[in-house]
Amino acid sequence: MTTDQLSAVNSSASPNQRGLFTDYTPQATAPDDMLDANGQVRPHWRQIVQLLNDIGPAELEKRWATARQLIHENGVTYNVYGDPAGMDRPWVLDALPLVYSAEEWKNLCDGLVQRARVLDLALADLYGPQHLLKDSVIPPEIIYANPAFLRPLRGARPSGDRWLHMAAADVGRNGDGGFCILADRTQAPSGTGYALENRIVVSRAIPDIFRDCRVSRLATFFRSMRHLLQVVAPHNKENPRIVLLTPGPYNETYFEHAYLARYLGYTLVEGADLTVRDSRVYMKMLGGLQQVDVIFRRQDDNYCDPLELMPDSSLGIPGLVQAVHAGHVTVVNALGSGLMETPALEMFIPHICKYLLGEDLKLPAVRSYWCGDQDSIEFVLANFNKLLIKPAFYASGESPVSTESLSATQMEQLRAKVRANPSQYVAEEQIPLSTAPVMIDGHVEPRHIAFRAHMVAAGDSYTVMPGGLARFSISAESMIVSMQRGGGSKDTWVLSGGPVDSFSMLTPPGAPMGVSRAGGDLSSRVADNLYWLGRYVERAEAIVRLARGIVSRLVDQNFESSPELPTILGALVGQAKLSSPDLKSGGGEELLNHILFDSDLPYGMQITLSSIYRTASLVRDRMSIDTWRILNRLDADFSASNAQSGQLSELLASLDKLIVTFAAFGGLAMESMTRGLAWRFLDIGRRIERGVNIVQLCLSTLCSPQALPPTTMEAILEVADSAITYRRRYMTSLQTPLLADLLLADETNPRALAFQLVRLQEHVALLPGNHLEVQLTPVEQILLRRLTELRLADFGQLTVIQHTDGSGLRQLVNMVMADLFKLSDLISQKYLSHAAQSRQIGPSTISIPPKERL
Amino acid sequence: MAVFRIRHLTRYRYQEPVTVCHNLAHLIPRDTPRHTWTQIDLDITPDAPRSMRNDYFGNRMTVFGIDEPHRELQVVSRCMVDLAPPLMSSLFPTGPWESVGKMLSGRPQGELLAACEFRFRSPQINWNSDIYNWTMQSFTPSRPLADAVLDLSSRIYKEFKFVSGSTNISTRVDEVFQRRTGVCQDFAHLAIACFRSVGLAARYVSGYLVTAPPPGQQRLIGADASHAWVSVYVPEYGWMDIDPTNHVWPLERHITVAWGRDFSDVSPLRGVILGGGKHEVTVGVDVIPLDGDDDTNAPVVPLN
Repeated sequence: MTTDQLSAVNSSASPNQRGLFTDYTPQATAPDDMLDANGQVRPHWRQIVQLLNDIGPAELEKRWATARQLIHENGVTYNVYGDPAGMDRPWVLDALPLVYSAEEWKNLCDGLVQRARVLDLALADLYGPQHLLKDSVIPPEIIYANPAFLRPLRGARPSGDRWLHMAAADVGRNGDGGFCILADRTQAPSGTGYALENRIVVSRAIPDIFRDCRVSRLATFFRSMRHLLQVVAPHNKENPRIVLLTPGPYNETYFEHAYLARYLGYTLVEGADLTVRDSRVYMKMLGGLQQVDVIFRRQDDNYCDPLELMPDSSLGIPGLVQAVHAGHVTVVNALGSGLMETPALEMFIPHICKYLLGEDLKLPAVRSYWCGDQDSIEFVLANFNKLLIKPAFYASGESPVSTESLSATQMEQLRAKVRANPSQYVAEEQIPLSTAPVMIDGHVEPRHIAFRAHMVAAGDSYTVMPGGLARFSISAESMIVSMQRGGGSKDTWVLSGGPVDSFSMLTPPGAPMGVSRAGGDLSSRVADNLYWLGRYVERAEAIVRLARGIVSRLVDQNFESSPELPTILGALVGQAKLSSPDLKSGGGEELLNHILFDSDLPYGMQITLSSIYRTASLVRDRMSIDTWRILNRLDADFSASNAQSGQLSELLASLDKLIVTFAAFGGLAMESMTRGLAWRFLDIGRRIERGVNIVQLCLSTLCSPQALPPTTMEAILEVADSAITYRRRYMTSLQTPLLADLLLADETNPRALAFQLVRLQEHVALLPGNHLEVQLTPVEQILLRRLTELRLADFGQLTVIQHTDGSGLRQLVNMVMADLFKLSDLISQKYLSHAAQSRQIGPSTISIPPKERL
Repeated sequence: MAVFRIRHLTRYRYQEPVTVCHNLAHLIPRDTPRHTWTQIDLDITPDAPRSMRNDYFGNRMTVFGIDEPHRELQVVSRCMVDLAPPLMSSLFPTGPWESVGKMLSGRPQGELLAACEFRFRSPQINWNSDIYNWTMQSFTPSRPLADAVLDLSSRIYKEFKFVSGSTNISTRVDEVFQRRTGVCQDFAHLAIACFRSVGLAARYVSGYLVTAPPPGQQRLIGADASHAWVSVYVPEYGWMDIDPTNHVWPLERHITVAWGRDFSDVSPLRGVILGGGKHEVTVGVDVIPLDGDDDTNAPVVPLN
């Protein structure tokens, strides 16, 4: 393109300021969304091009830097499977929107709505009377040999007989610029949340342009979505309980699940949060079970019920299919709707449309050939070198292959595979997707584009989201438009051509809102993870404190010369639950390294740290950004590689850093978590674990049959973080009974056993369901009994007796230890047991020996 | 008419308490023209609310869940069945096997369409070229279908060894084919894979077998177990049963409970549990004829 042709575009740019689009040169092989074949800006792009040039590249760049910050701060991510660094990959968004005119949008919508209606009716037929098979519209193999056809769902009658509540379609432009369907998303379409987030970011970055272009708003679409989710409820239509079901934080679009749940006002749940009882679905809360009316799922069909669907899914809700049949819950989209994503079905959609609606298909799809069809396979084999070969059914796990990219031998191999098993393959024509301008390092370059259209059912038709998410390829050459394979996203603007509906789902400033405070119920799964997070953090801190006690001495002493070193190492060995080796015979440093760095030791430092990270990431939506940052620092402070340099001084420094990091975590929990059930379970975990650790320390040190030398007593005080308190109270007189009192019975010492028990008493009294009982619960009995014993204990007596018969103190703390474990079990059983992982059982092989012969 | 009383017990014992379980049973027999069922009863301990529905293949399915902690789950189904003799002799004339495959391919209608449901790969039915080639030794050109089916059954019977416990429910067909050992379920799966590999429709039948006592000996109660065999679709006739484990036509001694594409569609009892630790399972089936003179008084040994 010449500068002349762009003069209209850049008319308002001053002569020394080059317009944004001056160097923009689309490819000759594909149509461009912004420029027509003559290089002229298309009419519906003119205004935005003009306005963008008015603000100029420098200003746009500056505004976009702020916008990127917003994406980062909002934590918008897209997880990429199989890439260790892929968790939480930041979302890539381009500053320049894709623009559609009001007229072309209307035509596109007509086609999209018709398509959604066809897919919905086809599902109802295939899971019902199967006229499409009986009247030979579709070959039976495509349904009967299809892993996405879920037989247990046949005969289910979803509320309103609607199978497809929401649908998405990837739309591209083919060679002549017309719209064309690339793929359907029918079971749990993703992208609405990203579309919304993109819109918020872009409209904030260029608010003036957004306003002047009169862009259709997205909010009305979400209003329809919320309305739909309410009316599909089988019961409680006035106020149904609606949950958003996510496979969890490891899912690629988890961000969107959390985002949508918050935006629409639904509870975000995982399979383990729900349970089926007598064909009804309930949410497992600490306060009891609460019936669920609608499940808005973002989990694939097959994973939703391990009892009737894929047996080895640990994400599902056993019994959900039966609950659907009984009509007590509505799943959106209906279970089984993934069937319509089958590539082999594509070539039959025009026939299905004609058969079910009596209409011709309005919007074409990419031409597709199911090789199980005789005419198709002949065409495919004759034109093999310019097609995209895909598995006919998704479950096969093979990726699509473009034959153009293959060598002659590879092509022959693939051709042989297709010929041997034609019904397992689909071939697709490849179309030159259109390009649109994308900002790359301050320049504007063409990238291939696909738009994801979203539909939501409304009455007996569908509403289309006006605009939203477009994605672009990683390079100008690549035709692969996928967030999984790189590339990025764009906001799509549909020009309204008239007044804009300014409805917003966000509460306008100044609107009255009801006051809400902590005290709401909490799901058992979240409570379970917080409980274990508390325990792991405390466990890690105990290891670090003991290790620091050892390393700080090793810097200028050795095991032979220092009497306290074997004792502390013994305590560390006890903490790590290793069988006691002979500690005097050297090898102390190796043992220390084993405990700190061995990644297979169950109670060692590495496994404890990774457990912290894992449990924390499972409850990430409960954690402040600062807390998350602290947890990330744990990882950085102490990954095996950077601390295991062999230098004791470096090791000491990183242990010191870790102790400060743990203190920061504890401080944040105390200072920034509301005193609701989440905080309570985190703290219960910490208190139980700290209690166990103190008892363990006593068993390894104070319960020793020999009198302790003063240096050892000092070391114990240091490890237990109680040295200053002791010195302030008793000066330098080191006596075992005083030490025992400070570490076990002193209710004012946050490091003492009794302190933990008092805190546990407070927590337990406030857990749901406890106040209803007149008698003390077993948990309360245990706490009261052990606390009373500690209050009555005469440590002078107890520490003397141990010299004669070994009982006394050891007996006392051993009983506390046993009771702490019992306490943990009781709390788990009462509140957390629902959260355990379920597993499959089945009959062993049934056999009968041969007896009869022919 | 022969009348049988059937009792089928399954018991799971767990090392640790199970807090919640969800189960799906195919223990209530389906209606067929030859089977008349009476006194059907399903006894579940601990007691549990249950829902019944017909599954995709028309079998009766029971879904139940238990949400109180338990260390043992016992499910006992009891029923009586009147078994009518088969309507046709087993040696009816059948056409060449290739024509059947042809009728089932493309876009068949009516009964042929229904049979198509059993023509393709399914969760536990898969085959490779070795299995196909082995099958083709029985399916020689233009051979009558029933002949070829019978020949394949006899080859499974002769070339494969019945070894109790040699496989489990997830053993794949190609493994069975390679090892040449298995139990009734494996032989049924293998036969189905063979038939489907040449384009026929074949389904998995789960049921019970009445065991005739060896001469001069008492019937062993509880020695009987769940059994499995195969049914092949024959146009115009319908479904023709064959039991490759015993190499017999299942006529008067085979009692059908359910059918599906393979075991995974009709497993008698399966479940998902929370907790439990290790478990052990006991399965026992009694099939007692009520028409014989000694059998009515046969002592029923309680299954404790």
